[in-house]
Formats: sequence, C-alpha cells, structure tokens
Amino acid sequence: MTPTTDAPQGGLGTTGLGPTTSICPRCKQQLDAELIERDGRVLLARACPDHGAFEAVVYGDAERYREIQRFSKPGTEPLERQTESDRGCPHDCGICPEHTQHTCLGIIEVNTACNLDCPICFADSGTGHQEHGFSLSLEQVESMLDAFVAAEGEPESVQLSGGEPSIHPQILEMLRAARARGIPLVMLNTNGIRLARDPSFAPALAEIGIHVYLQFDGFSESTQIAIRGRSLIEEKLRALERCAEAGVSVSLAAAVERDLNEHEVGQIVSFGVEHPAVTGVFFQPVTHSGRFRADADPLDKLTNSDVIEAVAAQLPEWFRPDDFVPVPCCSPSCRSATFALYDGEDLVPLPRLVDVEDYLDYVTNRALPDLDVREALEGLWSAKAAGGSGPVAERLECIACATAMPPELREVAARGFMIVVQDFQDPYTLDVEKLRKCCVAEIVPDGRLIPFCAYNSVGYREQVRLEMSGHGGNGAAGLA
Amino acid sequence: MKPAGAELGEVLPSGDAQLSGAALKSCCAAVYAHPAVRWLLDDELHPGGAATTRRALEMAGLKGGDHLLDVASGSGASALLAAEELGATVVGVEYGADAVREAVEAASAAGLGGRVSFVRGDAEALPVADSSFEVALCECSLCTFADQERAMGELHRALRPGGRLALCDVVSEGRLPAELRGGLATIACVGSALSREGYERLLAGAGFELVEMESRSEDAARLAARVAERLRGARLLGFGSLAELPLSVPEALEAVGAAREAIADGALGYTIFSAVRR
Repeated sequence: MTPTTDAPQGGLGTTGLGPTTSICPRCKQQLDAELIERDGRVLLARACPDHGAFEAVVYGDAERYREIQRFSKPGTEPLERQTESDRGCPHDCGICPEHTQHTCLGIIEVNTACNLDCPICFADSGTGHQEHGFSLSLEQVESMLDAFVAAEGEPESVQLSGGEPSIHPQILEMLRAARARGIPLVMLNTNGIRLARDPSFAPALAEIGIHVYLQFDGFSESTQIAIRGRSLIEEKLRALERCAEAGVSVSLAAAVERDLNEHEVGQIVSFGVEHPAVTGVFFQPVTHSGRFRADADPLDKLTNSDVIEAVAAQLPEWFRPDDFVPVPCCSPSCRSATFALYDGEDLVPLPRLVDVEDYLDYVTNRALPDLDVREALEGLWSAKAAGGSGPVAERLECIACATAMPPELREVAARGFMIVVQDFQDPYTLDVEKLRKCCVAEIVPDGRLIPFCAYNSVGYREQVRLEMSGHGGNGAAGLA
Repeated sequence: MKPAGAELGEVLPSGDAQLSGAALKSCCAAVYAHPAVRWLLDDELHPGGAATTRRALEMAGLKGGDHLLDVASGSGASALLAAEELGATVVGVEYGADAVREAVEAASAAGLGGRVSFVRGDAEALPVADSSFEVALCECSLCTFADQERAMGELHRALRPGGRLALCDVVSEGRLPAELRGGLATIACVGSALSREGYERLLAGAGFELVEMESRSEDAARLAARVAERLRGARLLGFGSLAELPLSVPEALEAVGAAREAIADGALGYTIFSAVRR
C-alpha cells in the first residue's frame, strides 16, 4: 500500500457521508476521518500527520450503504465493563464505557499452534510458531468463560478458535466447560483436518453438543493453495461426511478474496444446501490484517456488497441482493444475513415471504397475517418463538445476529438454510463508530472482551501474544 | 381473524363452478379480507399498489377539495391515500362488512375520519346521491361484478356531469387457458376480465367518453411473480392448501404460472382507463 500524497479531499463525484474516527494503519494513532462516496462506493479517508493520507473502500455499493442505515438499532448494555475510558476508542478496549453494544459472540483462541500454515492467517498461527506461541490451559479457558458469563449474564454463543483448536489436547474439556456454563451455541472453528483424520472426534463433538464452523473456501485447487497453502478438499469432504454421520451440524466459513475465489461463492452455497451436515454458509471478505497480502490495495478490497452481489449473480434463480438483510445488532454494513427454505428442488429466501423489517422492528408491530407461517417465520426473525424470557429487543438482536441456524426452522417441512456475509475491519478500513457497536469479541486471558476488529487492527493481538509468550508475533506490537 | 375464514367456507365456489350475483360479491369480499390471501398478495390488493392508485388519480385529475367515490374500497388504502396525499374528501363503498370496519378504524387512526367515510354497499346499487362526486375510482373490481353494465351505470349516476372516472382493471385478450377460467379465476379478476374493446364498449354504453388508457401490465407481472414466490414458500413450509381456500398450493401455483405466461404473452394485462362522464 502506498499512501496517497494528498490529504483526503473530495473530487468530482465525491460526496461526504459523514465524519467518523479511524486510526493510522501504520502508527495506529487515532485520526479524524471522513466517510465519502466516490464512483458509487463508500471510502474511509483520513490523513496521519506522520504517515500521510489513507483511503480504503468499506462498502462496494454506496446506494445500498445509505439504504441499509435504517437497520441500525440502538445497542444493548452488557452487564459489566472491564476497562475505563482513558485514551479514547479504540485504545481502551476491554469493554470500555464508550462501547455501545453487548457481545453476541465471544471468541477464545485456545492456542497459536496449527497443523496448517495458511498464507491468509490473521492470527499469526502455524506449524512453526509454537515455540513463540501459547497454548491456554483448561483453567485459563474456564476463567475466560466465567468472565464472559459475568459480562453477559446468559451469553448467546461462544467460539473456540486458534491456531487450530482441535489439536489442543484439552479441546473437548474446554468445549464441555463452555456447554456446562449454559451457553446454548458453542462452536469449534476448525480447518477440519482432525475431523477428517480422527474418526472419534465428530462423535465426541456430537456428544457435547458442538456446532462446527468449518473453514471452506471453495473447490478449486488454486483457491485452496492460495488461501490455505495446500489442497484440502478431500479432508474437508471427509470431515463433513463424519459430521453428517455423527449428527454434528456445520457452518461452512469461506474467506472470500477478490479475483481468487469470488467466483466460487455460488457453488459453495449450492454445495451447502445439498449437504446433510451443513446448515449455513458464512462468507467473510478477506481482511488484510496479519500476513495476507499486506501490500494489497485497500481501495480494491472486497466488501459485503460485493459478496452479496456475487452470490446473487451466481445463483440468480435463488437470490437477489435484497434478500440479504443487515442484522440490527452490529453496524448495518458489518453483517447481512438471509435465511432460505429448501426442499431439494426449490429454494425460497424468507425475506420474500415476510417483510423482514416488520419482524425486526417490533415497535411498529403492524398487523400480520394470522397464519401458521407467522409463527414459523416470527421465530426466525424475532424473539417470540425463541422461548426466551429476556427482553424482546435483546433476544431479537441475538437471533437476527445470525450466529447459527435458529432451531425453529428445523420444524418446518423444508430445510432451513442460512447465509451470512460478515465483513471484518482491518487497519485500513477501521471505522471507530462501527467498532463501538461491534458484537463479536475476543475474550482474552486477563478477562477483557476486545471487539474482534480492534483486536486484529489496533495492536491488541500482538499485545496479548507478547504477554502470553514473551514474543510479539511477526509484526511490531502496535499501540494498543 | 376467524370471521373471514368462517365466512369463506360458506361462500366459496367449489371447483369450476361459476358464481353470480350476491354470492360472488360475498365471496370476493371474504377472499380479499382473508389473511392468507392478504399475505400472498403482501397486501397489494391490485397490481402496482399505491403507485398505480396514485397514477390513476393523477390521470383523473383529482385535486384538493374534490369529492371522490371509491367503489369496492376494501380496507381503505386507496381512499386514505387520496385524502392524505391529494386532499380529497372520500366516500368508500365496500361490500364486505369486516373490510368496512377495518377501513373506518384505519381512517380514524390516521386522523382522517372527518374527510373519509366508508359505507357498506353494493356497486350495482350505490348508496350515494346522484351527481355528487367529481371523481370516481374503481380499482380491480369491476370485472368481479356480476352486472357490469349496471355497475357502470351507477358510477355514471354518482358522478357530476364532466366528472372523471378512473377505472383500473384486468384486461384479457383472446381465450385464456382452463386454469384461468372458473370460479376462483373470477375472484382473481382474471376469469371474467374484459378485452380493452370490451371496457371501451362498456364505458361508452354507460355514457362515458374514454380519454386515456395506460397499461400497467408490468405491475401485474410483478404481483403474479410475488404470489408465485409466496406460494412456493407456503409449499416449503408444508401448507397443503391455503387456509380454507378450496385450492391446493400446487394447483394455485399452476394457475399463477399460467397467469404469468399469459401476462408475458400479452393475453392478460392490467390497464388504467381514464374517462369523462357525459
């Protein structure tokens, strides 16, 4: 990335979308920033007094960006905040009083060791890094889970990640510890190699009640080599087979990169809807935090709208871009989801069947058709049928937040299927206003909950790594 | 919402039986008030919804202070639009008692109770005085009336000389396939739709002069596509039939498929007719 020499300024066809705050991708200092529209896209622009001006694309379709802002809803307070406001967002994470949302999904990275060396890794993990890495003990993970429970009361979901968590010798105990705390959705984020090789692993996950979040970037050899370092398709298919046999439900998680596997998103969806173990697909535009394409042009990054358009273009019989609805929990440009019904032949996205906004916005509470479909659909987009006694708005957000297939959908005649498009921020795209409403947090060993995009962009990852291992990872520790 | 359903069971035609007179009117009123039908149509009770209504009223030159008669006013959406956006004083006449109640409530909720009123009544014997309206609106309902000449005559009677009629309806050219004839097709405004020429004759016969016609067939195509989509959804959700309608979801899908083809071929369409009362 070469910083532009001029300070960010509007040119022809540039419109301001409002001020925000960002950081310098180099020195991480807080900077006043501007969201601008140029050539139909939304860019984040700011200038660092020491490192010059930076611009990055944050949403590929400015019209849609403006349109989806109406989905923005006020956040819900967490029960506890772990840090004080001192230097200002994003330098006090933990969660600090400036944060405006509770945490729907907590992530615990149990190790840095991995059985792959993915070029794409944002966690600086790999087979050769163990000596400088760390591996949490069961006790540490338990105290982190306790911190999460203290912050959330009744956390919705937690994901054990890494490194490659499946190679941690105590991973099953850790997963069990999460379930034992009453967390309804406990996920294992894995590359699937252990699932493929160890026939006892999927049944063990089934017994504990774990949902597998399986890295699955596509089918072509070139995609896999570029993203994961080697071809893994046979292992992925075997892992899925074993999950299906054991009754473990799986979300496919695809990192999507421009000109690499963008063309495979449709195929991943059509594979997923057919596979008995798969309940959904998560598409994540690749961020350029960490080691992947560190020289990539931030003006060329793929965003949610690009992925949504690619899915619709590759599966025109099934999807339109407006089938993807921003979840109201985080910022509308962070995560969009759709649910679809599929019976092996026909697929209908649920937003075609209901006015999703009516379900998301209970305040308006317009009269709805008195059909059975109402019950079925209401459970999907809202709180009522989820059986929770929590405040409606709160439950609503967590379900709409789409961390996993709502159980209500399993009761309808056809199969329910979910597609989520989730864009994470990197040092170039970091918009502090969005970050304040982030609902995905890394739970770190000292009990802080650090919003995911801050963790990877501001220097927290390096800081934790340094504390845990005495080594700051490959890059210099940023200013967290 | 049980009342509409209970009513439906009593008034619906079986199979291809043709309906006439009062039975047809009750049936139409009950069907369009039914929540399942409202869901299928997403409350767009005529092609194009509010946009088409706006266009029809614009073609008829409705302006603030005008008195508008809305025949078959349903739950009142068009009447409220005319009052709210264009400043008209509106009387809606509707055959279904539930729809009238719903419309009255909607008008009062919108704070328009003073300028919009709804009465239960028959399009073939309108409960309004002679020559009392500047504009009349009849949306997607004329072709469900058993005696269309008489209904047209009533519209003529209610309008002042020089008053304007906005008539929006399904137009069918040539013979429709079997799926699009019969009782339910009639209720869907398809089975008994006239040709353009048929409407022209009907208007002329009642003493109207046709001023302008505008095709809104794209709206009809969009509406049919949505209904098809929701029927597919209903099938995927495991509904064998739609509430009390004597039509299975697969049969309904076939009929809507046939309608979509007919719209694409130009055999079926939706048109706004703007006419002046002589």
